[in-house]
Order: sequence, then C-alpha cells, then structure tokens
Amino acid sequence: MTRLPANFLLGAVLVSLMVGLAALSLVWTPHDPTALDIRNKFADPSMTNWLGTDKLGRDVVSQLMLGARNSMTVALVAVLMGGSIGVVLGLLAAGIGGWVEDLVMRLADLSFAFPALLFAIMLAAVFGPSLSNAVFAIAFINIPIFARVTRASANQIWTRDYVMAARAAGMGTFAISRDHILPNIAAAIIVQATIEFAVAILAEAALSYLGLGAQPPAASWGRMLSEAQTLMYLAPELAIYPGLCIVAAVLGFGLLGDGLRDITDPRLVRER
Amino acid sequence: MIKLDTLSVTFAAGSALRDISLKIAPGDRLGIVGESGSGKSLLASCLMGMAPDAATLSGTLTIDGVDMSDADEETWRPLRARRVAMIFQEPMSALNPLRRVGDTVAEPLRLHFGLSRDEAAKRVAELFAEVDLPNPERRARMFPHELSGGQRQRVLIALALACDPALLIADEPTTALDANVALQVTDLLVDLSEKRGMALVLISHDLASVARSTERVAVMYGGDIVERGGTDDVLHAPQHPYTRGLLAARPDPQAALRDEQGKRKRLPTIPGNVPPLSGLAQGCRFAGRCALERPDCATARPVPHGPRMLLCPVVEGAA
Repeated sequence: MTRLPANFLLGAVLVSLMVGLAALSLVWTPHDPTALDIRNKFADPSMTNWLGTDKLGRDVVSQLMLGARNSMTVALVAVLMGGSIGVVLGLLAAGIGGWVEDLVMRLADLSFAFPALLFAIMLAAVFGPSLSNAVFAIAFINIPIFARVTRASANQIWTRDYVMAARAAGMGTFAISRDHILPNIAAAIIVQATIEFAVAILAEAALSYLGLGAQPPAASWGRMLSEAQTLMYLAPELAIYPGLCIVAAVLGFGLLGDGLRDITDPRLVRER
Repeated sequence: MIKLDTLSVTFAAGSALRDISLKIAPGDRLGIVGESGSGKSLLASCLMGMAPDAATLSGTLTIDGVDMSDADEETWRPLRARRVAMIFQEPMSALNPLRRVGDTVAEPLRLHFGLSRDEAAKRVAELFAEVDLPNPERRARMFPHELSGGQRQRVLIALALACDPALLIADEPTTALDANVALQVTDLLVDLSEKRGMALVLISHDLASVARSTERVAVMYGGDIVERGGTDDVLHAPQHPYTRGLLAARPDPQAALRDEQGKRKRLPTIPGNVPPLSGLAQGCRFAGRCALERPDCATARPVPHGPRMLLCPVVEGAA
C-alpha cells in the first residue's frame, strides 16, 4: 500500500469535518438556529452557547452548522447540475467533432471571457436574489469548465486502439462515449468536480454575502459574514467564525481535489 | 464480394494509396505484405470505412455489390462486424482496461442482434471456446490485464467473429506476440476461415506466416501493389525488384553465419528507406532504391502487366 499524499489526507480530514457538521445539523443542533433571544445578545462563549450568540441572540454554533449544510447542498446541486450538462456537452464535442465541437468549444471560450463570479452575480441579479437562483448561476458557470475538461480527456481516449476496435465492431458514437470514453475519463471528472466543489462553496458564500444568495432567516456563512461586517469593532469574532468555516471548507475540497489528481493521474511522477 | 477498383487515398502531404484494385471473394485468404509505411494498414482501414478524416478517397469500393466509396459513418456501421471485421496489431491496447473482456465481446452481439444480457453471455462463452480460450465463462469475467498477450488476441478474434463477418481483416495480428504464440494465432485464423468459409486478409511483414496461411498475396510498396499472385509462386519466384529484395532480406537459419574468410556475413538489405509521403516519386515509387533502375523509372508511371499485374516495366512478367 503506497502512502497517500499529505494534501489528500489533510483535505479529507477537513472535508469530513464539514460534511459531518452538515450531516449532524439535519438531526441535531445545540439550539434552534433561528430562535431569537435579544436579552442574550453578543453573549460570550459559554457552556450553553459554545461560541456565543450574535446581535439577535442566535446561537453561533447552530448557525454555523446550518451554514455548512447550506453550503454543501448548494455546492452539491450546482456541481452535479453544471457538471452533468458540461460532461454531456464535452462528450458530444469530442464524439461528433466537426462543427459541433467548434460550436461547444467557442461558446465555452466565450463564457471564460467573463469572470465566473461576476457572471453568477449578473445572473442572480437578473433573475432575482434567491438561493435557487444562486444555485443555477453557480451551476451555469460550471458547464464550460466541465465541457472543456471532458472534451480534452475524451479526445485522448478517442485515439485509443480499443475505441478503434469498438468502431470496427460497428458501435456508434453514443455507445462508445457511454461504454468506453466515460469510464476512462471518470477520474479526471471526479477530480475536477472536487475542485469545483470548493469554488462553488466560495461562490455561494460570495453571493450570499452580497445578498444575492440565501435570504434571511436562512443561515449561510456568507450572510453571517455580511451581518457581522457592520459590527466588526464590537464583535469581530462573529465575522471570524464563518470566515474560518469558509476557509476550511474551500481549502479542504481544494486539497482533496489536488490529492485525488495526484493519486489518479499517472503522468505526474511523484516521489513516494 | 468486396471489390476495389483504382482506389486511391491522398493526404495533404501526398498520395498514400495509388490505384489499388483488388477482389476478395468469399473464403479467399489473401496476404498483404510490405514494409512499414507501404500503405497496408491504410488499405485495411479503407476496407472498414475507417480511413482518417484527413484522407481524400477516389476510385470505387464495393461491398456485396453496393458502392461504399462515398458512404458515411451511418451507412458503414451496420456493415462493420457483420460483413467486415478487423483485429488489430496490439492486443495490449485494443481492449478497454476498465471492462470485463466478456462485456466487450458481448457489445456487438447486443447491438447488432439485439441479444439479451444472458443470451449474449452464452454466445460469448461459445465464441471463446471457438478461439480456444480455456475456461471460457471464467475468462469472460476477467479484465484485460489478467490475460496474457496471446489470450487477449484470442479475445479480439472472438470480438471480430461475434457477428459472423464474411471478411476478417487481420492487421499484423502477431507482431506483438512471441513466435510460438504467433504461430498458434495464425493457425487459428486459418482454421476459422476454413470452418466458417470466411475470407481472410492477413496484413503482415512476416513472410513466413503469410506463406503458411494464405493462398494469394499482394506485395505493397509506397502505396502501390507492385506484384500479386499465388502465395507460393510469388514467394518462390519473385519478379518485382522490391519483392526480390524483401525475400533476399530474410534470414536463412540454414545458411552459414560466416563466409570463407571467417568474417561474419551480413544480411542483404534493400538500400535506403521508404521515402516520406511528400517525397514519393511520380513514376515508380521504388525508384532510387532499385537495382534495376532505368533513367525514366522515376518519372514514368509503370503500368501493371502480365498475370501478376507486375508494376515494373523493366522486368518481363511471367506466370
């Protein structure tokens, strides 16, 4: 058994922590995260409120847990949606070639001309601020990314002898893409998905921070950050907690993705 | 059954196949020999309708009386595997590493014959038995890396046979195998062709396996068929200077290793290399390497003559 790379292990620990928090929040939080307790506002950390309370007396730990769930859900749905559309487009481009490939790839190029987050902000602004619109926006910016990765990897597989053999056996583009191309590029797609998961978490936090994502009273790290911003001098820790959570989650998924790439990509020669 | 009439393939860099005419009847066993770059594999891919996109084709290719020269992918697809099938050079890379070999072979059965999963699995076991794979059911569940080179090539033969093709093209099927296994695979191909009445095109630069397994042979050089005829006739009495050179370059295990002075004898070779596509002569493509070359050989296009369709004006054709 070879040793797993350090970035993979650290990423896995951070990710399990965040996913664990999110999963736990489904069944249990220390307090009702939306319950107001004005008399108890800005409470210091104590046995009842482990990280204290915010300006409305809501329990910070409970809110952070709910924020984790919110981030994971948004990222999961957005990456799954954008990813599957992007993968299908990439497979089509590589499989059919010709003008289809040109069209898909030029559209992808076009979308890269806009900074991804700015594009998401634009979409969220046009369709109105709501969590589901934020999800759609993040999914949308994922489409060209996945289309590109898929097409590049798929084009490599299309030149393989076993694809020739499948063509010689009369298999069509669709069947070859499904049975031969997709399984052989799955590793690259999973790596990309993990990395895009981190980007999606950051994007959701940014959109919610700008008020274009989760709407009150739904808990979200980005929204907690923006609420705490006005109280930076009074209670800086309220901004630090969600900030740290965002850093941990983004870093975790980023490292996990890099680690997965190191493990699955044989072209990277590493010292073990 | 399959007829090529003055089929030519041109790339931007030059012409890669020049006026190839060929007939393959049911049950025929045809060898195609020539060195690397002579157009053998390109010819094979034309027969499968799988010539590279960059290639321009002219001339006609008919399969079962249907003109396939301009056929698109959708017209070709039903013919592949059912009429013409192909096995490849490298059994190592011609199998998807992530699929069980049984599933790979079942694929065309389900696609072309609409068999159910179980029916296909049964047929796969029969096919594996037919290509002499021991323990067919167990082999079918294995992944390519669990099989030896010879076994993989047998799996690929089973894949090619799956839909009872009328013609099997074997593109250097034994190059990657060791000599003993190569012999077994070649013999298997001949057996199958005899049993099934299936035509076989064996592309090879191994003259021994061509001699052993085919009735007719076509010798290719630089995109031309320079000589053709009965395998025995051509290999025992070569006429084209290129065929002669090719045969002279064979090591003879019976010959003495050293000459009278005790110096190690060198194997005769054909001087020079196959020129790149762009450097091929207008006339005879062997010009420049040929011992019998005349001044006009490089410019005057040779006309096939004699019963062997000999592509050399210098040599008088004989049967």
